[in-house]
Amino acid sequence: MITLELNGKQQIVPPGSAVTDLLSIIGSVDNNVAVVINDRIIRPDKRSTHQLQEGDRVEILIFAGGG
Amino acid sequence: MDYLQLGSYTFSSRLILGTGKFSNATVMLEAVRASGAQLVTVALRRFNREQLADDLFSPLRALPGITLMPNTSGASTAAEAVRAAQIARELSGSPFIKVEIHPNPQHLMPDPIETFEACRILAKEGFLVMPYIAADPVLAKRLEEVGCTSVMPLGSAIGSGQGLATAEMLNIIIRESNIPVIVDAGLRSPSEAALAMEMGCGAVLVNSAIAVSDNPPAMAGAFAGAVDAGRKAFKAGLMPKSSFAIATSPLTAFLGAKV
Repeated sequence: MITLELNGKQQIVPPGSAVTDLLSIIGSVDNNVAVVINDRIIRPDKRSTHQLQEGDRVEILIFAGGG
Repeated sequence: MDYLQLGSYTFSSRLILGTGKFSNATVMLEAVRASGAQLVTVALRRFNREQLADDLFSPLRALPGITLMPNTSGASTAAEAVRAAQIARELSGSPFIKVEIHPNPQHLMPDPIETFEACRILAKEGFLVMPYIAADPVLAKRLEEVGCTSVMPLGSAIGSGQGLATAEMLNIIIRESNIPVIVDAGLRSPSEAALAMEMGCGAVLVNSAIAVSDNPPAMAGAFAGAVDAGRKAFKAGLMPKSSFAIATSPLTAFLGAKV
C-alpha cells in the first residue's frame, strides 16, 4: 500500500492506483471534481493513466454554495 | 432588448445570485429559477465524503441557461486567488471569476492591494474578471485599466443587510466607469436593489437577503422584479430633483377665479 495526503488527511491506496481509482475509493463523481496533485491540475482525460505515488499531496475540490 | 454585456457574454437578467447560506440545495435551485438569474456564484471547497450534499455542480449544471461564476473566497493573497481561479476554471469551464480576497473574517473587507494584483494577472490569462472591492473610485478605475470585465463594489459589509451605505462612492464609480458596475454585498431588500439599478448599476449580486429570508424563492422573485423596475426607471430617465414645489395642476383659471 502507498500513503497519500488527501485534502490534508492521510489516505492509503493500493500500489499502482490511478487517480480514477482514488476517486472511486472515496466515492466522488469524476466530472464533478477538480483534482490537484502536488500543485498540478490533473485534467479528466489524464486521470485514468496518472498513477499515484507515495507521499503525493492530493487535493480534490468541488463547487459548494458561496456568494 | 436591454442586455447586460460581460465580455462576449450577454445576459437578459441583471440579477446575479449567490448560492451560499441556503438551507438545502432544493431551496437554492428553486430560488435560482425564481430569480431568473443567468449568472450564479459558487465557491471552491475540498470534497468531503461525509457531506456529499455540499456539491452543487451537478444540480446547477442541470439548470438550463446558467453560467457559473466561481469565487476565490478563502484566498487571502493574490497568489492564492490566482491558483483558486485556475482550478475553478478547470472545473466550471466558465471564464468568469469573482475575485474575492478578504483576509479578516471579522469584517470581510476586501484587500485592495492583493485584489488588484490578482486581477491584473487573471485578466492577462483571459479570465472575465469580476472583483469584489470596497467602494473606492480610484481602485475601480485602476481595475478597469488592467482589463477587468466589471467592478463589484460593496453596498455594505457582506451579509450585514445594511443596504447602500456606500451610495455616494457608488455614484462616483458609476459616473467614471466604462465597464458595468455591479453592487455586490450588503443588500437587504428589493427596494435597495431597485435603487442601485436606478443609480445606473449594470447589475446587482444578491445572496444573503434571499437565502436567509423565510421564503427564498419568493424573495428571489421579488428581487428580480425590483431589479427589472430599477433598470427600466434608469433607462427611462428620472426627473430632476427640485428644492421647491412645481405644480402639476394649473394654478390659474380655477372655478370662480377673478379674471
